[in-house]
Amino acid sequence: MTKEEKKIYVNKKGLRLDGRAVDESRPITIKAGVLKNAKGSCYLEWGQNKVLVSVQGPREALPKHIANPFKAIVKFTYRMAAFSVPDRKNPRPGRRDIEISKVCGEALEKSIFLEKYPNTQIEIWAQILDSNAGSRAAALTAASVALADAGIPMKDLVTSVAVGRIDGKIVLDLNKEEEDAPDAVDMPIAMMSNSKEIVLLQMDGLFSKKEWEEAYEVAVKGIEKIKQLQINALKEQFKLEEKEEKKTKTETKEKSVESAKETKTEKKEDKKELKDNKELSKAEAEVQ
Amino acid sequence: MKKIVVPGELVTEQRKRTGDHVFVHNGQIYSDTVGITNNESTTASVVPLKGIYIPKQGDILIGLVVNELFSGFLVDVNSFSLSYMSKDRIREPLKRGSIVSVRVSKTNELNEADVSDARVFYGGEVFAVSPVKVPRIIGKNGSMLDILRKGTNCNFIVGRNGRIWAKGGNVPLLIKAIKKIEAEAHTSNLTNKMAEFLSKQRNII
Amino acid sequence: MQKDVLLELNAEKVLNNLKEGKRNNGRKVDEYRKITIEKDLYKNAEGCAKVKLGDTEVIAGVKFSLGTPYPDSPKQGTISVGAELIPLASPFFETGPPSMESIELARVVDRGIRESKAVDFEKLCITEGEQVLIGFIDMYAINFDGNLFDASAIAAISALNEAKLPKIENDKIVEKEYSGKLKLKRKPLLSTFAKIGNVLVVDPDLMEETAMQARFSVATTEDNFVSAFQKGLSGAIKKEDVDNAIDTAFKTSKEIRKNI
Repeated sequence: MTKEEKKIYVNKKGLRLDGRAVDESRPITIKAGVLKNAKGSCYLEWGQNKVLVSVQGPREALPKHIANPFKAIVKFTYRMAAFSVPDRKNPRPGRRDIEISKVCGEALEKSIFLEKYPNTQIEIWAQILDSNAGSRAAALTAASVALADAGIPMKDLVTSVAVGRIDGKIVLDLNKEEEDAPDAVDMPIAMMSNSKEIVLLQMDGLFSKKEWEEAYEVAVKGIEKIKQLQINALKEQFKLEEKEEKKTKTETKEKSVESAKETKTEKKEDKKELKDNKELSKAEAEVQ
Repeated sequence: MKKIVVPGELVTEQRKRTGDHVFVHNGQIYSDTVGITNNESTTASVVPLKGIYIPKQGDILIGLVVNELFSGFLVDVNSFSLSYMSKDRIREPLKRGSIVSVRVSKTNELNEADVSDARVFYGGEVFAVSPVKVPRIIGKNGSMLDILRKGTNCNFIVGRNGRIWAKGGNVPLLIKAIKKIEAEAHTSNLTNKMAEFLSKQRNII
Repeated sequence: MQKDVLLELNAEKVLNNLKEGKRNNGRKVDEYRKITIEKDLYKNAEGCAKVKLGDTEVIAGVKFSLGTPYPDSPKQGTISVGAELIPLASPFFETGPPSMESIELARVVDRGIRESKAVDFEKLCITEGEQVLIGFIDMYAINFDGNLFDASAIAAISALNEAKLPKIENDKIVEKEYSGKLKLKRKPLLSTFAKIGNVLVVDPDLMEETAMQARFSVATTEDNFVSAFQKGLSGAIKKEDVDNAIDTAFKTSKEIRKNI
């Protein structure tokens, strides 16, 4: 009997199957600068989704015929680990992976000042380690953070989320159970929130124009909140040091009075050392 | 007042002269990178905390000779592409693997650089830091360099491209100190902190 | 490509230091870097492990699929090991089809596990002659600082050790339901050595790998058996190298196994 019961995706209190409100996204944590061998990187968890993104470059675009002498080209690769889905995924990239890679790369291109790095390529690798619907929004959101972490100049961060409709109600950030609902609509969208420019927009399902407008509004609000998380992740790497700073400021004030007295005598010694160093380097050059 | 900004974040609403790493949109000035901006400054600019080295004429770099061509050498300077160095006026013996300091003699709109005035280093160690942190490692009028030299007795050269060659003295301590500057480049009073750090380390030894 | 030259330079230093008996970070020739193993991170996997060996990091995940047994072994399921060296891990790793390195890595890890009979393939049989479970172990390098072989082997065997067998109903796998853990009969581990000059060092880091002329891996079990040999690269090794390697491997693997 229970298996035939219809699922109530949004109940009378406006709560979904996992207890969320219709405009609430799953919990998201973002950490920048996590990979030692990448110029920029980001690890992002979004509900059950777990994605690790690396940025390499800008470096020489190869093979040479794909290089653009006026701007950098963006190569985005979206891949899912074989164990990241309920039914093992064949490691060879499928058409879905290739399509997602294309639209995500195009989404990011708009945000980057590509003309600053002609003849180069910027390579972004998004590896999905665990998934539960919305992995492309997770990958794109993380990728934007990784690009900023790499110091690549951008107009704005790109923030992505999936909106949709289940049971006639517009909801933010569908999970897998909701995506599988009958007549569910899934609409991944990505924006540069300052200018409200939409850089990624896809849709699966049957939508009315009014529903699209409602979904857009829900998306914009969701994106504002997620963008704040992206900003916090980037600034967090520097926050701890600022706290330490305040502690040590009082300490160093006392010490600086003492050291001011010392530096006078040290300055004389310094000058001698500088001379020594210069002679050292001359001598070394001669020896060789 | 200094504050950390991210790409797309407003630097100022005021009408100011624009400096590095900002762009103007609808009359307002925004940052294009993760960095520090000071709103008390008369120019709106951002000092990046992350980034890649873009060759500028006159910069001194530490490079590695990667290849010998008929009329010149290809030098890896940790940038987008290898730099070309003509064989004219090179007096020192160079080969693949030679560590050199070079000067950027010419750049073009593709950020490619020609280099010259090679000086070879023998022995010692080469390590890399983020190129955007180099100004901090040098300090105002070389003040941080002085502290590092005094604190480690090392002979070292810091290239604008983030590569550093060091020899003699306590090189491991120098590397540790420079990595510390790299991590804390955005904090204030760093010069004093480093002087303290190095004197403590010396007392331990 | 650009890091290549810097690494080659440092590789010369490695050789010279070893001649004086000194190793990177003060390690002894038979000493491993620090190892940490994190389990149970990815919910869609039936078993998974994230291993850090020094700065080298590898993630392995286990997924079971239904398949038909080989005609000559109707009562046996099997395992299949894959490895990917993704660009995340190093600027030297390129996008594209599996490289020779990743295939060698996967096959050596597979050999160590398969030949040691760590997994009882009969436990993976659902219906004799018709349906068996295939355990797929997929490994992903996340950060490369030398010795992906040992890091991957530790990740693979840890993931298998944690693996839960899926529940089968009506010839289908029931999602999110399990019928107990896969119990391993043995826990084989790989020990990889780098031959640099005349010295053999265990667990080479990136600099040591750049300096090495030959690489030798041996898989060992807790009851002192060897279940795989693999000599790699174009240098040569001698019998004493293999003897030393086996002795060291028995010793170091015992220690590492305690963490699994």
